[in-house]
Amino acid sequence: MTAANPVRRIFRFFAFLGRRAGRTRVFAVLGLIPVVLAVVARVFLRGRTGLMADVFTEILMVFFLQFYIVLLALFYGTSVTAEEVENRTLSYLTTRALPKPAIVLGKYAAYSALIAALVAVSLTVSFFVLNAARLGQPDLYVTFLRYLGVLVLGILAYTAFFTFLGTVLKRAIILGLVFGFGWENVIQYFPGSTQKFSIVHYLKSLLPYRPAPVGAGGGRGVALLLFRLEPTKPLAAVLILAALTAGLLALAAWVFRTKEYLPED
Amino acid sequence: MTAVISAVGLSKYYGNILGLNDVTLDIEPGITGLLGPNGAGKSTFMKLITGQMKPNIGAVTVRGRRAWNDPGIFRGIGFCPEPDAFYEDVTGREFLTGLLRLQGFPDAEADERAARALDVVDLAEARDRLIRGYSRGMRQRIKFAQAVAHDPEILILDEPLSGLDPLGKRKLIKLIKGYREQGRTILVSSHVLPEIEALTSRIVLIHQGKILAQGDVPYIRDLIESHPHQISVTSSDPRALAGRFIGDRSIQKMTFGEDGRTLVVETHKRDEFFGRLTQAVLAAGIEVDEVSSPDDNLQSVFEYLVEK
Repeated sequence: MTAANPVRRIFRFFAFLGRRAGRTRVFAVLGLIPVVLAVVARVFLRGRTGLMADVFTEILMVFFLQFYIVLLALFYGTSVTAEEVENRTLSYLTTRALPKPAIVLGKYAAYSALIAALVAVSLTVSFFVLNAARLGQPDLYVTFLRYLGVLVLGILAYTAFFTFLGTVLKRAIILGLVFGFGWENVIQYFPGSTQKFSIVHYLKSLLPYRPAPVGAGGGRGVALLLFRLEPTKPLAAVLILAALTAGLLALAAWVFRTKEYLPED
Repeated sequence: MTAVISAVGLSKYYGNILGLNDVTLDIEPGITGLLGPNGAGKSTFMKLITGQMKPNIGAVTVRGRRAWNDPGIFRGIGFCPEPDAFYEDVTGREFLTGLLRLQGFPDAEADERAARALDVVDLAEARDRLIRGYSRGMRQRIKFAQAVAHDPEILILDEPLSGLDPLGKRKLIKLIKGYREQGRTILVSSHVLPEIEALTSRIVLIHQGKILAQGDVPYIRDLIESHPHQISVTSSDPRALAGRFIGDRSIQKMTFGEDGRTLVVETHKRDEFFGRLTQAVLAAGIEVDEVSSPDDNLQSVFEYLVEK
């Protein structure tokens, strides 16, 4: 028998199951939205390179950062534990020679990788469709990698949060929706340190900061989203996101190890 | 013989509901049948043995090790759960190889073991079909296959025969008996006495979370025979039929159904009664439409034993 890492074994199993799941196809189709928007923008803004970059920034902020990764993390993260309990398949995992924390961590890793792949494909296509005229500029690729890095950090943090929620609560998805699309969307605009109680604050702190023009009254979309941001320093933001992710995962693994998951009946 | 599985003062509560109450039991190599009606506590007991639940009181050990949060014990345990639940979007082969890899087997060995297990449960031909498309009997068999694929010494089988057709049942019974011949320890639950009887002579009766009785089949049969049985006979002339049994001391009570065609008899000696019924029907030339036992189920027998 091999001594393969239990987390890796679980990762492999659920990466395979995740690829097969019907919901992955649905979410992949959802990932076509920015691609379609990018194509449309490219057709209508032919030749106006700067404007196309602005359109992509809006797609990044509105679609990817505040909708797509939150939605994917919510559904996959809460399902790490909940789908096993609801589908009554948990016993296939807990009666194997696997430490219980490995089940949560391996499945989290598999689903995070799956989300990252979905996001990366959508991001790559839409980004390069809108920036096709600048393919020869090296800074374009730096920008792309920065965007991708921020989204991956967001995926890891949000999925860890929802994984934790799913291990603790039976109906985690409802609270998850309130957190992901309520709390996160509102609290990030609060002035002072209150905004630091949201994950999205640290993600936005890693993106190029563009304050709103004076007297613009909020200005256009991007400015509106950023004008009250009081960014945390990039290194601090990364460390906080990493600590948050690790802490939530450790808690989720501990809860899963100690909690009994009883069937509804 | 040394106990492989040992429960001492084991109790489990679901909030205010009693799942298992002060169970002390040793399970030795061979087949032990856990017999009880639905909701008796069979699955709870099995989940405690397999570490899926934590006892509120008492302890359960498998080869001297506590089951809760000790994944090491599962190298030697195969568990067949009762619910009809699967990862539906995978084929039978993928299901087994996936679980074998989780168990720690390298890819080639997992493939080989999966193929062998599929063969054992007669699913080799359906190995590349999605489990979603399997019939109830096939699903039951693939569930059994995942429990035995890693060659465990201890098998915990929760209602493994439910949903199988008579032929499937016979095959699985033969298979389980084969594992017994190899010296393994098998705990199998059912709510159907003949199923358990076909598997083993060692029976544990469980009801309302308590071990009601344990022993071999004749002992359990005697226990069940002591329960007065109701037998309903629908015939062309129930009163003439009743007249034939007036002097029969084995009959406690006879009543007539409201339809005017049914005679309900209460007796302790069911088998004797059936013999006499045949003679009486033949002698009197009565036409019998139906013979049934309204309370001939485990639940009523258990209720009787509990009251007793």
